[in-house]
Amino acid sequence: MNCLEFERILPEFLEGGHTQDQQAHLNSCPACSNLLADLNDISVQAKALADFAEPSPVVWNAIEAQLRREGLIRRSAPRQAALPWFRRSKMAWLLPVAAALAIVVGIKLYRPVGAGENQQAVKHIVLTPGEDVKVVSSEDQQVLDTMARRPARQARYRADMQDANAFIRDAQATLKNNPGDIYAQQMLINAYEQKQMLYDLAVNRSSGQ
Amino acid sequence: MNGVSWASKAVTVLAFTGLALGAGEIRKDLQFKVGKRPMVSINNPYGPVVVKAGVPHRVVVTAILHSDKVELDQSSSRNRVDVISHLLPGADQITGVVEYQVEVPPEADLTVHSENGPIHIEKLQGDIATEGGDSSIEVLDCANGHVHVKTLNGPVNLSNVRHGHIEIVSMGGDVLLSGVDGPWVNVNSNSGKIQYAGDFGDEGEYDFTSHTGDIEAVTPAYTSIDVFARSNGKVESDFSLAPKHTPIIVRGGNAFHGTLNKATSSVKLFSFSGKIHLKKRQN
Repeated sequence: MNCLEFERILPEFLEGGHTQDQQAHLNSCPACSNLLADLNDISVQAKALADFAEPSPVVWNAIEAQLRREGLIRRSAPRQAALPWFRRSKMAWLLPVAAALAIVVGIKLYRPVGAGENQQAVKHIVLTPGEDVKVVSSEDQQVLDTMARRPARQARYRADMQDANAFIRDAQATLKNNPGDIYAQQMLINAYEQKQMLYDLAVNRSSGQ
Repeated sequence: MNGVSWASKAVTVLAFTGLALGAGEIRKDLQFKVGKRPMVSINNPYGPVVVKAGVPHRVVVTAILHSDKVELDQSSSRNRVDVISHLLPGADQITGVVEYQVEVPPEADLTVHSENGPIHIEKLQGDIATEGGDSSIEVLDCANGHVHVKTLNGPVNLSNVRHGHIEIVSMGGDVLLSGVDGPWVNVNSNSGKIQYAGDFGDEGEYDFTSHTGDIEAVTPAYTSIDVFARSNGKVESDFSLAPKHTPIIVRGGNAFHGTLNKATSSVKLFSFSGKIHLKKRQN
């Protein structure tokens, strides 16, 4: 059994029915076992919410909007007729649980473009292009000042520092949108590495001559 | 007629002699006896540096100084040789030039710095660290060592560098890797293009990152990699990769992730806005 097959049987698995083959895959696959653990956590915490006061209409509306955005539900029968009954029901807590599960499963099952295909992976672009602003920080300027006697070199380093700063800004903007994006984290590290190189070369060369 | 010819030749010879004297080129030959795996450092603000493998236990330096505005500072201990082009007051990019030809033991650890002269290194087995400005850096036919390259805008060319631990940081210089492999190959570029031609070796980690530069990797069908590419620019692969289950959620931009053959090496190709192309090598 592979991950795709496991994800297909996940609903039945959550209901308690599973085979040895499925269990064996779960034991050997960190991704799938993490997914299952997340779903179980949500389920447990959501059940605890059942004892709390009924959520405000804002919560219900937000859940509905989120489900609609995810394409999991469509506009259909008038909501007002169904929800009051559902809110009074002892099973009311199941709706947020189901919504949360649906969203989490949607996110977990989402994967980038099929390998080897030349098409866009995601429709919504989150990466933000760098602002076209040429700036250097006061620290940059201090380093540039060490080259004051050589304007041509100073201009070249200034341009390179602006490029490094643009890289840093872009990586930071990406991380702001996706703090857990380890590749954006790596981009940010690389951007700072470029800047460090510029500082090293600028200062070493200035002091060496 | 013969008299005129002789006279013109004499004038020509005198003129060239005068030019040569005016240029004031000075040749320096240095030799150092060293132990096993010596450390050799060449720091030359202006001018080319060529380093090749020579004989064991000996470092040979030939330097052509283009004027008396520059002199050589040298220091050596039992296993360390440092040579520095020392610029004197009034030296500039023309009068400060020194041309170096250096032979070092094949296993020597080498550091070379040149701000505006090309750097060429070949047939070494030790660790190599180079820093350049706008001129080219070439490392050819080396193996088994660390190769660290820093450059501003000069092109970098590594060819036939095997089993290396390779790190390259470049701002605008293009980086060309041909026949390069090792456990760790990392290229970090700002706007320069990154080109790789080779089979990604066996069980290596290859990380190529650029801000705005394009990344192109040309590899044969038998290559064995787990590859992940991502950019806001165009991302394409000539291969039909086997899908790869990833716990990483890719949000934004274009991407592909998959494996070829046994996926023994890891390849990551990331650009913020440049194009990425994993190309299949023909034949």
